[in-house]
Amino acid sequence: MFSRRDFMRQGLLPVFAGSAVPSVFANGVAAAAADSPNATPNDRILVLVQLAGGNDGLNTVIPFQDAAYHDARPTLRQDQGVLTLNQQLGLHPNLKGLKASWDAGQLAIVQGVGYPNPNLSHFASMSIWETANVTGGIGDGWLGRYLNYLDQVGESPNHALEGVSAGSLVPPELRSKIPVTALQSLKTFRLQPVNEHGTQVDIENPLMKFYGAFKTAGPAPFGALLDTTLQEALQASHALQATDASYQAKATYPANSPIASSLKLVAETIVSGLGVRVAHVTLGGFDNHAREKPVHDKLLLDLDVALTAFMQDLQGHGFGDRVLVMTWSEFGRRVKENGSAGTDHGTAAPMFLLGAPVKGGLYGQQPSLSALDNGNLKFTTDFRSVYASVLQGYLKAPASDLLGGNYEILPLLKA
Amino acid sequence: MLATGAAGATAAAVAVLWKGTDLSQILDRVRDLTHDYQGALSTSRGRAAHLLRRAGFGATSKQLDQYAAMTTSAMTQAVMNYQLTSNAGLEANLPTLDLASAKGPSAAAVQSWWLQRMVQSARPLEEKMTLFWHGLLTSGLDKSGTEQMYTQNQLFRKMALANFDDLLKAVSKDPAMMVYLDTETNRKGKPNENYARELMELFTTGIGHYTEDDVRESARAFTGWTLKGGTQLRYTSQSVFVPRYFDSGQKTFMGKTGNLTGDDIVEMLVPLRATAERLTTKLFTFFAYPNPEPAIVQHLADTFQHSRYNVGAVVSEIFAMDAFYSPKAYRALVKSPAELVAATLRSTGADAKAFAPANTAMGPMGQVLFYPPNVAGWPAGTSWINSTTLLSRINFANAAAQRMRASLPTQSLDQLVGTLVDGNLSPTTRDGLQAFANAHPGDQAGLLFMVMATPEFQLS
Repeated sequence: MFSRRDFMRQGLLPVFAGSAVPSVFANGVAAAAADSPNATPNDRILVLVQLAGGNDGLNTVIPFQDAAYHDARPTLRQDQGVLTLNQQLGLHPNLKGLKASWDAGQLAIVQGVGYPNPNLSHFASMSIWETANVTGGIGDGWLGRYLNYLDQVGESPNHALEGVSAGSLVPPELRSKIPVTALQSLKTFRLQPVNEHGTQVDIENPLMKFYGAFKTAGPAPFGALLDTTLQEALQASHALQATDASYQAKATYPANSPIASSLKLVAETIVSGLGVRVAHVTLGGFDNHAREKPVHDKLLLDLDVALTAFMQDLQGHGFGDRVLVMTWSEFGRRVKENGSAGTDHGTAAPMFLLGAPVKGGLYGQQPSLSALDNGNLKFTTDFRSVYASVLQGYLKAPASDLLGGNYEILPLLKA
Repeated sequence: MLATGAAGATAAAVAVLWKGTDLSQILDRVRDLTHDYQGALSTSRGRAAHLLRRAGFGATSKQLDQYAAMTTSAMTQAVMNYQLTSNAGLEANLPTLDLASAKGPSAAAVQSWWLQRMVQSARPLEEKMTLFWHGLLTSGLDKSGTEQMYTQNQLFRKMALANFDDLLKAVSKDPAMMVYLDTETNRKGKPNENYARELMELFTTGIGHYTEDDVRESARAFTGWTLKGGTQLRYTSQSVFVPRYFDSGQKTFMGKTGNLTGDDIVEMLVPLRATAERLTTKLFTFFAYPNPEPAIVQHLADTFQHSRYNVGAVVSEIFAMDAFYSPKAYRALVKSPAELVAATLRSTGADAKAFAPANTAMGPMGQVLFYPPNVAGWPAGTSWINSTTLLSRINFANAAAQRMRASLPTQSLDQLVGTLVDGNLSPTTRDGLQAFANAHPGDQAGLLFMVMATPEFQLS
């Protein structure tokens, strides 16, 4: 099969031809149609939920029987309503939907996830998680490398909606050699028309020519970047306009919840059969150095309600078996709360994997709250082991190649 | 060199394209490739336009004429010495913000107020530096209140070109910052590390120049300052030193032990070479081009340290460097959404009703004033450009031009291109615009939109 890079390269010249619908887009639409769920029933979709700012793992999966927890958290501890998972651990009281998934065997919790020599900087640690490289950096993201791999093996549906994120920026874990699309709304993802005396003026073809010319005339890297981006944008918008725009949510998403809106947009993109393979959403606000409790309680409630609606919506549309949700955060927080009823930057924390593909249960080992490293938890599971398990066990991709090393495969996922 | 380069490029282009398609398309590509792209900086009007884009938010045709008549050093002085220029016209035009109300003005009101300043200020560098500080010494409305953000914005404006240590001491006590990075809760016996860590990681030395112990100890030094009034945190815009909140014990920071205060910490961090290199790299990247050569950074770091950490001295030096007007600097930056929107309104003239919709249009392009994505500010550079933001940029140009349809002066294509893109477009684009003008005679709004939708206009 024709790779995306060939497609983009060969697509370059037809765009100068000036036909009403450049052939490059006709190909894009056809490719999108061919990638509809019926045509490729084995496609699996991974949805990453980034909890930005450093989620307080100890107040998410709570060691409610551990005296050390109560000692360390005199004002922040959750005394009541913990949703028990076993005799030691329970979910935060606001995670009722996740608890229901746990009861249904569709929630895996990996405990104590981190990496050696933890970095307490948000940005250094985010970069480490995004690239799956403990030195961080600006290279392709770990899921971007997965998209590159799909392209190499010819499994790429040849349009820019294979990797999507909700928002206005492409997140670093999706950085790749192929296009990835940030989406704010499917309806507005297009060039607004220009009308003169009631007649629509063609602006697409002139703009394609301008940007195509700038590819060679303009300075690196912007000439090529602007040209490629315009092509990707028009290609994706044509694909979006060619799909059946009749999506109706089969769940009630809460209003005034940015994470719910983001997940609804991802659901719409998935359900519309646009060939999404990986999607990314962000819930920010977890950097709770002060007055943590009301903020963190609300964040977990928003997360839980939004995820519950999302899973229900996907199930309603028959996508329930094909979607895995995974949460991550750049670090957990300090075991002992600070004097501001908050917590400073910490290290290891749990990750959630949610959905029908999951083998529910607890994985890894809960870190000790008494054997600490400078006040912080010692990690027990390397995050790259979780990535490897998802890449190999779920996405059926060569984990060691994509992660640059061999990591233990955890039995988190059904075959 | 240029001739050789152009000839070499021509040969390469012909070789690459020969197999492709018909001869006229090949010749168009060759013409675009060999077009004297950087030539704009060899004209005085091109240099004026470059400076006014970087030091401000673009210019009208009249402003370009005015600056083009000056020498380069006179242009720099005119930009730098803005204190001598009255801003009474702007101040008279600005809407009154409802600062007296308990909860402060709305976010949209403060955002539009600032956008109007960017567009109408007679002191563009003052607004540009305010934007620089907002992106570096970040606070945001996700935690801080609107009146606090307004107060911080005025602080950045007042100290736009001040000594960096003085600015950091003021920012450490600024209410918006104290809420955003939690110093308002940082008390004796209850240290909160948030501000101390980001002060070092993001505002001064950068990562790798301090230890976790330095974070913990300096957090203690920043105790004592809190917000006046107490309970309504987001709505109080004055800070106060309360001696009983201050940890007066011994602290050891970067090898020095004593009863250190927050000001002491700032005075220890600012003289460090790592701070000088990091800040001057950020300033050069903001004004000239990314990844400056080591010699440039060392030169600017020297300027910074020899001027007692004066930001104005560094900025003035950047504008005086050959590198600033070098081909490498030309269109080497992507206009941020704030720059793109302000430049659109400034270059084309905007009425009082233009600011609210223009402010709303910035979000889909990836930037909302007073809402940086996190404490590291906006990632900037190539990350401003992706498929969704590019469509938003082009759609904004369309909407802005349509909005102004009734009031647009009649301008020729040459005039528009001369004001907005230095008269410097690829020949293919120039021809395409001429074809559009011929096909749609008298459609000023359409033509303006097409010029603003060019790839050239997306760059600074």
